[in-house]
Amino acid sequence: MKNKGILIFLLIMAAVIIAVFVSEFLSDRPDRSKPNPFAYDVEEFKNVDPELILYEESKNFKIGFEVPAAIAVNNNKIYVAGDNSLKIIDLSGKLLAELNLPTKPQTVEVFNKTIFMATENRVFVLDEEGNILNEWEQLDENSFITAIAATENNVFVADAGGRRVIRYSEEGEKLGEFDGKAEEGVLHGFIIPSPCFDLDINDESDLWVVNPGLHALENYTYEGNLRSHWERTSMKPEGFSGCCNPSHFTFLSDGRFVTSEKGLVRIKTYKRSGEFEGVVAAPNKFVEEGRAPDLAADSQNNIYALDFDKKMIRVFEPKNNTGL
Amino acid sequence: MKKIKYILYLLIFAFYLLPSHLSAQQQRFPKPEFESGYEQPSTVTPEPRALSLEYFDVLVLLAVLSLVTWLILKKRSRQGVLWVSIFTLIYFGFYRNGCICPIGAIQNVTLSFADPAYAISLTALLFFLFPLVFTLFFGRTFCAGACPLGAIQDLIIIKPISLPKWLNKTLGLIPYIYLSLAVLFAATGTDFIICRYDPFVGIFRMDAKFLMVVLGISFLLVGMFVARPYCRFFCPYSVLLSWMSRFSKRHLTITPSKCIQCKLCSNSCPFDAIDYPTDEKEVVKSGLGPKRFITYALLIPLWIAAGVFVGERSHTFLSKANNDVYLAELLISNPEIKNDPDNIDVQTFLASGKTMETLVEEAGGIRQKFYYGSMIAGGFIGLVIGVTLLNTVVFRKRQDYVPQKGNCLSCGRCMDYCPVEE
Repeated sequence: MKNKGILIFLLIMAAVIIAVFVSEFLSDRPDRSKPNPFAYDVEEFKNVDPELILYEESKNFKIGFEVPAAIAVNNNKIYVAGDNSLKIIDLSGKLLAELNLPTKPQTVEVFNKTIFMATENRVFVLDEEGNILNEWEQLDENSFITAIAATENNVFVADAGGRRVIRYSEEGEKLGEFDGKAEEGVLHGFIIPSPCFDLDINDESDLWVVNPGLHALENYTYEGNLRSHWERTSMKPEGFSGCCNPSHFTFLSDGRFVTSEKGLVRIKTYKRSGEFEGVVAAPNKFVEEGRAPDLAADSQNNIYALDFDKKMIRVFEPKNNTGL
Repeated sequence: MKKIKYILYLLIFAFYLLPSHLSAQQQRFPKPEFESGYEQPSTVTPEPRALSLEYFDVLVLLAVLSLVTWLILKKRSRQGVLWVSIFTLIYFGFYRNGCICPIGAIQNVTLSFADPAYAISLTALLFFLFPLVFTLFFGRTFCAGACPLGAIQDLIIIKPISLPKWLNKTLGLIPYIYLSLAVLFAATGTDFIICRYDPFVGIFRMDAKFLMVVLGISFLLVGMFVARPYCRFFCPYSVLLSWMSRFSKRHLTITPSKCIQCKLCSNSCPFDAIDYPTDEKEVVKSGLGPKRFITYALLIPLWIAAGVFVGERSHTFLSKANNDVYLAELLISNPEIKNDPDNIDVQTFLASGKTMETLVEEAGGIRQKFYYGSMIAGGFIGLVIGVTLLNTVVFRKRQDYVPQKGNCLSCGRCMDYCPVEE
């Protein structure tokens, strides 16, 4: 046959055409739809290179709260607030005292044996016996206190509802407030889509505030002027993702940052400069889509994470046991 | 004068106020900064094509149709047609991305009849009608140079082979089946399958799915040897054009005056669309013409009945192409699929707030439409098969080489072979 080659070619092409028609017709059905290419899939980011994990979980203890609220470590004691009480625990997990609180706590801070506890819009000052030493003026109804940081003569309160930081004296006298805004076009101010707004004071008495919408940590003077900041937006371990991260942070004894994130729950450490250092706890340690643990650290650089989902304190020690 | 001054001050004030107001409208959240080297594209919202430009497209179509008709009937210039088809390929193909086209407009017209809530645009209607009107008077000049799908195939014909008559006839049934299904699917609001399976639109837009690229390339590869395979054996619009062309008074002629029976044109048509002079003696000698004609004529009702039966039997399968029907069946047979968060269609249905009862009721209505529609489509295909068979035994006396009015694409190749001058 003269055109045998062409005919074979045509037959193959005809088969291809029919196959394409049939497979295209059968492929686009509700139970055979292709995976959503725009699906929010963070699975790959849950896997962390083991070499990046610098800490290991050494112990954990249940705290017996239905609704744990906050954690602080001071003078080798753990202060954990929840339900309507505050428990003082030693570093091995032994309960030293349990103080009844006048109302449901949101956050707790301890400085020089003085306990600062806040509800949504009021700060209470207590001693270690549970006596209320002072009850500060109530903030407005939109306020939502999420963190307190105290140093000599200054107490800073993070008000997520008012998107501001309020500065008080130790006696509760309001000394000022700031919202992180500067001249137009330079700073947005604090961007706080959800009540995740943390602040803390480091070993050099520098005030650092999280700007969660910007994935930034910002260093302010006590008067509220921005001094420096660093930010990392990334789904990778080096950065922060989502609407409001880092949700919590604390300082190690040498001024390094420890951060915790919600959504893709993980705890990480950063150098004083903001450079990523390593992972304390990878996402597989936590409940999927869980809350960001509240953080505290002791003088040995052990990290205490209040796991809201598992309702326990989880202690992470540096792997090399040298305090890194 | 004072008033003017006052207005002037107001304008100056507004002028200074405006930029400061705009700069205050800052993005609340920063865009994520990916660290993979990926650059965040800026958001673009494409504007719909302006109505005036749509009418301009209609004008271009009209101009191209007129020009091709003039080149074929008056100028008898194959080369002219070729240049026009290159323009068509560039304008309607690559520039207008193959849309809108008269072939797909079949579905818009059908849906406008079937769904009172659907209003067809004037442009789509004109695109559907103009080629048919031209074909009714002048033959398929639209196929010759005004169709981008035809143009892209026409340019890659390398070594056309002649197909056996039986194969030509058999493959020639596909456009009827395709048209039936396209009308059925459009009328039931299921799908616009002509657009979905358009093999060349992906090439025009350069963003087709892989399978559609394979389809387009396959058609082009086939087209190197079987000239314009999509036009001849798939195009549903060709059915309507073929019907119109049969009635065309001023169709292309191979010879400008009297045929001298030189046979030079006999192999000129790559589409096997030239009828040869008939040998009456042979037909009479076979003696089978009248008997076959009667038999085939009597068989037509049977073909129609068979088509209706097949349509009735297949309506359930065909209706599954409708997403509502398929979804209803899926949710009834696999209720647990409601818990599958990855099934977008199911999750979309659940999020819509529509109840299962409503879905099933709607699916039932669509299936009922498919029931009648499939039988009509089946009956139509049966009729086409019966008439096609009947045509094979109808004797038409021809003394010259003439183009088959129905199948001739008016490309003008045969004219170049004719030595007769006007």
